[in-house]
Amino acid sequence: MLPAVFVALLYALGASLFLWALARALLGYGTRDASLSQLSAREAAFLGAAADAVFPPGGTPALSGAEAGAVRHVDRWLALLTRRNRVLIRLLVVFFEHVTLLIPAPGRGGRRRFSSLSLPQRIALLEDWEHSPLRVRRIVFASLRTILTSSYFASPAVLRELGLAPLAIESPVVAADLLYPRVGQPRASIRWTAEDLVRPVPRTPLDARGPLHPDYRDPHAAVTLAEDRA
Amino acid sequence: MSGSVGVFADYRGSVTDRADVVVVGSGPCGAVAAYELAMAGKDVVLVEEGPPFTPADFELDGPISMARTMREGGLRFTTGFVMPTMQAIALGGGSLVNSAICGRCPEFRLQEWAEAADLDHTSRRELEPHYDAIAEFLGIAPTPDDVQGPRNLLFRNGCKSLGWSSEPCARNVVGCRGSGECFTGCRARAKQSMDISYVPAAIRAGARVYTSVQVQRVLGSGRRVTGIEGRLVAPFTGAPGAAVRIEAKAVVLAAGVLATPLLLQRSGNLANASKQVGENVQFHPGTSVMGVFPDAVDAVFGATQGYQCLQFLRDGFKLETLWAPPSVLAVRMPGVGLGFKRKLVDMQRAAIWDAIASCQRSLGSVRERGRSQQPAVRWRFHPEDARILGRAVWALTQLFFAAGAERVLPGVAGLPDEMHSLDEARVLEQRPARAGDLVVASTHVFGSTRMHGDPSRGVVDEDCKTHDLDNLYVVDTGVFPMSPAVNPMFTGMALARRGALALAGRV
Repeated sequence: MLPAVFVALLYALGASLFLWALARALLGYGTRDASLSQLSAREAAFLGAAADAVFPPGGTPALSGAEAGAVRHVDRWLALLTRRNRVLIRLLVVFFEHVTLLIPAPGRGGRRRFSSLSLPQRIALLEDWEHSPLRVRRIVFASLRTILTSSYFASPAVLRELGLAPLAIESPVVAADLLYPRVGQPRASIRWTAEDLVRPVPRTPLDARGPLHPDYRDPHAAVTLAEDRA
Repeated sequence: MSGSVGVFADYRGSVTDRADVVVVGSGPCGAVAAYELAMAGKDVVLVEEGPPFTPADFELDGPISMARTMREGGLRFTTGFVMPTMQAIALGGGSLVNSAICGRCPEFRLQEWAEAADLDHTSRRELEPHYDAIAEFLGIAPTPDDVQGPRNLLFRNGCKSLGWSSEPCARNVVGCRGSGECFTGCRARAKQSMDISYVPAAIRAGARVYTSVQVQRVLGSGRRVTGIEGRLVAPFTGAPGAAVRIEAKAVVLAAGVLATPLLLQRSGNLANASKQVGENVQFHPGTSVMGVFPDAVDAVFGATQGYQCLQFLRDGFKLETLWAPPSVLAVRMPGVGLGFKRKLVDMQRAAIWDAIASCQRSLGSVRERGRSQQPAVRWRFHPEDARILGRAVWALTQLFFAAGAERVLPGVAGLPDEMHSLDEARVLEQRPARAGDLVVASTHVFGSTRMHGDPSRGVVDEDCKTHDLDNLYVVDTGVFPMSPAVNPMFTGMALARRGALALAGRV
């Protein structure tokens, strides 16, 4: 009789744990952002929380990770990867989101999933991984931080604030440009002719304080400039 | 006579062609081979898996650029010792996204090659005419001072104050404007990458170029090959298209160190009587050190890799300057949270210099990963070789302080993130580095189809002809018997040129 009760209790415990883990993994993430082509609601929630832990609000640069558009950038990047690599990145995300089950974050409620932790808890958890004596943990951390850092730096505003935005460069037309179309286009789309080869283009060293690449200019400054001209 | 170029959007159905020679891969080695063969009057077909890129296709965003121009989105890594390694997929191969350094293999290293691989005519004197011809064609010259920018000149100053030799990097660049954008494609069109230099020249000489062609098999029987077959693949997605078949009197493989062995293995284990195909894989593991200076370093201006120090080549490492998209460099900064953000502000005052090491005890192998057409690269970082790289980190740290850095971030696990004086940094000298403590990556690979005078110990002879087959050549840096001590592109091109000229006389 006793062993049967014991086994039943074990089953009940196992089932409860399974349901708890399932609920923790699937519930409470809200609706998926329809503008994201790759990321699920859970993945987006994790990446937003992690981006804000690596780049919290305040300080310089002013934007936090999420404000800088890190989630949207990861979504765009994922779309360019092979299926295998997308799966690997997703595994990394799911792993970090739920790793607190195994390695809790410091402080009260440290076993909540990553995206539900407080900001100081998230930072403390990541610091713990960064300085782990185990190389494998450092590699896993570095992989995550690389993704988030790369995405943060995709923001023109961040690059402008750090003085790292690329400069404007006019590309001269070279003979090879008469051979190749843009990627994905037919050769009939090539618009250059031999006359373009002699078009004068600056070839002097760049001025580090020269104009920025158009995609990295401050849109508000551009408006002001346009208003001034008007 | 003028050739042609095929792009994915223009193909209608399957592609068949016939030529004297088909060259697989349009990177530096394949492009040189195709050009020389076409100039010798041979009917040449050059096939490339990647698409051609125009300046409008270049992405300044590091990860997006890598996802578009690198195999496996730039996320390829070795197992055994986990290390990122990047190979390009584009017309022009790695030359589209490398920093254009053209270093001649030093005489002492070629002597080691000769002794280790029973080579009789691969001395510096014998390679010199090939180096010279390529240098003249590409306009290879030392990086001029006016585009060095502060981060390269600080390196020079540091070397001078330590009494170390230094020199501007010779590069295949004409009219550099100092954008530091070599790794994402040169918007200034100054870098003479193969897609705008050797490939168009080969086309002018009559070569037909097919891009977006994935070669799956070398065809042939007995001691002769008869061509290649494969399929069209869509740019970026790799979605398979129609079949491709090129018949040829000779085949030249320049698909890259990690792709050529797979092609041979898939083609019935071709050219592998020696059992060396896919073995002996060596890298130049590299690591970088960051230094923060009191004044701005003008991050957005200066040649990507403009200066180098060859003083320690015989000790196994080379020091050089480095720049990359900020998103890639920022990864080098330690930390998370507001402290990390504060460090990012220092990037305006920071320079990053790197070391690459000749690691001849660290060997690996390459096989196909399932049926993915992608390589599984297994590689071990030998502890002695890791110590070489550790010594290089110490050398770079000394260099930074000699150049006036106020603090240095050596990037060694288990040590402080930042060091503020040479005395504080001496722990780098005193504690031998362990492989796992270093942050390493590598783009230089060699040895997977090594050259050897003894057919039982190598895959190709000194003319890059496979020992086992009469008309199959391999001309990428996989033929190096070991590290060239310096950046491999130029030596690979020189060997490819020699091999192509030899083949032109035979086909």
